[in-house]
Amino acid sequence: MMKISRRQFLGATAAVTAGAGLFSFEMLTKLDPASAAADNSETKQFRNVCPRNCYDTCGQISFVQDGMLKKVDGDPKHGYTNGRLCVKGYTYTRRVYSPDRIKYPMKQMPRGSGNWTRISWDEAMDTIAKKILDLKKRYGSTLPICFDKYSGNFGILHYAADGTMSSIGYTTRAVGTPCWPAGIDAQTYDFGTLYNNDPEDMVNTKYLILWGQNLAWTAIHSLPFAQKARENGAKLVVIDPILTSTASKADLYIQIKPSTDGALALGMARYILDNNWVDWDYARANSVGFDEWIDYLKNNVTLDWAASKTGVPKEIIMEIAREYATSKPASMWVGYGMQRHTNGGQNVRIIDALGVMTGNVGKSGGGVNYGQLETWGFNYGAMSYSAPKGSRGIVGANGKEGDRSININNFAHDVMAQQDPPVKMLWLACRNPGGQDPDTHAIEKMFASMEFVVSVDSFFNKTVQMSDIVLPATTHFENWDVNASYWHYWIGINEMAIQPMYESKSDLEIAMLLSKKMNALEAGSCTYPTSGSEQEWLAKEFNAALNASLGISNYKELSNGPRKVKMPPAAWSDGKFRTPSKKIEIHSNQAEKNGLPALPIWVEEMKAPEKYPVRLMTPHPQLGLHSQFQNLDWMMAANPEPKLEIHPNLAAKYGIQEGDKVKVFNDLGDITLKAHLTRTTSENVVVSYEAWYNKSNYNVNYTVKAIPSDMGKQATGNNGLAFHDNFVDLQKV
Amino acid sequence: MNKQLGFLHNSEKCVGCRGCEMACKNLYQTDISQRWRQVFQIDENAYPLPSRMFISIGCNHCSEPQCMKVCPVGAYTKRDDGIVIHDDNRCIGCRLCVMACPYGRPQFNSVINIVQKCNLCYQRVDKGEKPACVASCVAGALELVQINSSLDAKTGVLKTLPGLPSPSITNPSIRFVGPKQGKQVRRD
Repeated sequence: MMKISRRQFLGATAAVTAGAGLFSFEMLTKLDPASAAADNSETKQFRNVCPRNCYDTCGQISFVQDGMLKKVDGDPKHGYTNGRLCVKGYTYTRRVYSPDRIKYPMKQMPRGSGNWTRISWDEAMDTIAKKILDLKKRYGSTLPICFDKYSGNFGILHYAADGTMSSIGYTTRAVGTPCWPAGIDAQTYDFGTLYNNDPEDMVNTKYLILWGQNLAWTAIHSLPFAQKARENGAKLVVIDPILTSTASKADLYIQIKPSTDGALALGMARYILDNNWVDWDYARANSVGFDEWIDYLKNNVTLDWAASKTGVPKEIIMEIAREYATSKPASMWVGYGMQRHTNGGQNVRIIDALGVMTGNVGKSGGGVNYGQLETWGFNYGAMSYSAPKGSRGIVGANGKEGDRSININNFAHDVMAQQDPPVKMLWLACRNPGGQDPDTHAIEKMFASMEFVVSVDSFFNKTVQMSDIVLPATTHFENWDVNASYWHYWIGINEMAIQPMYESKSDLEIAMLLSKKMNALEAGSCTYPTSGSEQEWLAKEFNAALNASLGISNYKELSNGPRKVKMPPAAWSDGKFRTPSKKIEIHSNQAEKNGLPALPIWVEEMKAPEKYPVRLMTPHPQLGLHSQFQNLDWMMAANPEPKLEIHPNLAAKYGIQEGDKVKVFNDLGDITLKAHLTRTTSENVVVSYEAWYNKSNYNVNYTVKAIPSDMGKQATGNNGLAFHDNFVDLQKV
Repeated sequence: MNKQLGFLHNSEKCVGCRGCEMACKNLYQTDISQRWRQVFQIDENAYPLPSRMFISIGCNHCSEPQCMKVCPVGAYTKRDDGIVIHDDNRCIGCRLCVMACPYGRPQFNSVINIVQKCNLCYQRVDKGEKPACVASCVAGALELVQINSSLDAKTGVLKTLPGLPSPSITNPSIRFVGPKQGKQVRRD
């Protein structure tokens, strides 16, 4: 555990720039709690939005005194997060003032040595710009430069990082999303896009199935709405291979065999059909291919089959089928974990069909709820710059030159595979592939083969450790932004609450700075603007339609509180589906064209290979979000090391006892961690939550293969990752 | 003493999100050694079915506070409303209270060499506000209540939960609603 003495701190920051205040945690600590609770008129409050990759995207109020962030609370004007944060959100002062923060641009010589030297912003920009121009000269294009950005910060102005790349020429881009694309495609084939009911509408449901969704850890602010529904008599059913904290609260918990969710839904559908609880009117009026699927159910699905496939007894399938079909309205929330399988998207399509057959789509209190992007109607001006005249790229299907796309979900392999020209340089923003991509060994190898790597980050994580130059990123308290959620319907402004710490800059400022340098070195080599305040840029992200949907005439009104986009509480209540046929496509020609079954029928799950009989599931952690938060000192104190959750029966087979060190391995790699014996996991499933612990090389992805899930290509460019189809063996160390 | 403020923790509602723990740290910006409020997981074998069940505990502001009894410098006082306050300015860091408390609530801070603990956000309470932990609880599982016989007479209100020390030692001002278990379809 780190300890920060004032002297060490001063030593480490002897050369901070003028304006950046000296800081130690003791300055935040109140020896006399009375001072904490005392009114202080000098405290300024700002509105912020937590920009992490999270359902909840909380409205925050930051409390600032003498330029220092003193604490962060929930914004009471936010109707979904309602003035409260989660365990992670309350630790933000530790992120902002962490002594581990990257304080100024630094270069590492040689890469991977840990031998970092502070450099000036000018030297950093000069080095990077010269490298870009050098590669362009050598290869005749900027295609050797590969850009990988994803979910480290979902603020709209952070798309400036994408803009940086567009404005220097055509580059190689990591395309796709690792998290949820199979489910997105499932809903795209079925409904035209993903679109969930307002989560606040959950209070109106009479029956709630959380299908592979653990809101207690990943969407805590939905809990009160689910609770309210239960107070009104709704039954809560949780289907999950892991008995999560959410599942522990359910009226009925079903420990399904992983990746067989579609079989359970098919069994339910068959029983609903046999008892004629089908909403024929809704299904036939609103969908195509429904009767074809009914024939499939009649000919191919039996309850006995569903029971043996899923491990769920027939009576239970009958019970939930009856209750789901006859409680009106009934709601399902499909979690992202359950689609991280080789048949994950297909399983979501089957669950969608179950919602359609019971008439629960388009209804308040109903829905097959997965996520939405309806509220993201910004201009994306920060990313919309075109390549300089004369830039050379890859000729696309439209005959025009453009960027070269590679698969974000097979990043290591695809970067290495590029020829003519090869990839020589990486630019990473809001992204930590060293921590989060599958097959960490392959990622390490790929990074080692690069000529030059630039990352923009706040901490020396695995990706930064493999970089030549790191640029210090601001936290969201140190820049302006605007944020929407992929779950609730609220939009909030993120005000600059404190000055950027040390020499940190936002992706937007970096974009402008690099453009200045590029153009100084070679006029016309970068089209990105070189001026404009963050607030000016922010203003440009709004348009008349967005303003109208928020009931504002100027974005500045968001400083009075977050606003909810005006949409009906139930998705698809207008019946205007966005598929080619404008109906729900139970039969999807699009799916068929992409080599998938046209109908939501059963597709076999991936089986454990003989050599590696145990499934290792690596779901989201409680005290972190991917590689964020768990490294902070408060989190390390609360959860100092990773554990392997293992069923006592499985542990007995390997002679493993509580606290024993266990090596978890397969042909790809291994991890070693302490065992925690628990009956909250299935007998043949071990669980370790993905996370980056401070000063630790622990990373579940050393064992995870880049196996694609079945869907994702249609809407997101590439298929997802079957993170949970990961098989290992165990050994007591 | 007429009144005794204390906590009512509802394990049926609590999902162990640990928001209360960090909301406390957020308000007071405490050192890493200080976990004035802490969420503990109940042994999964303590109830008929294994599940994830939790207890959230701050200082219990006991009727018979052992911390106060052993403190050689009078750093502890008990207010008329029952809140047990630790005065950091009087504390000499001898840690007798740390040893005396069966709940591990007074905690030694090696950075400043004194003991610190939860003072029930008494300044907030005096203004009619809720303590930070209670205010932050998304599940509504934590309440500030008067500990008295009418509370104890309510159905389902318990004086202890599995894993906790006997309440007879300090007569803690905390009550519980026990965890409720639903039906489980298991494969083991």
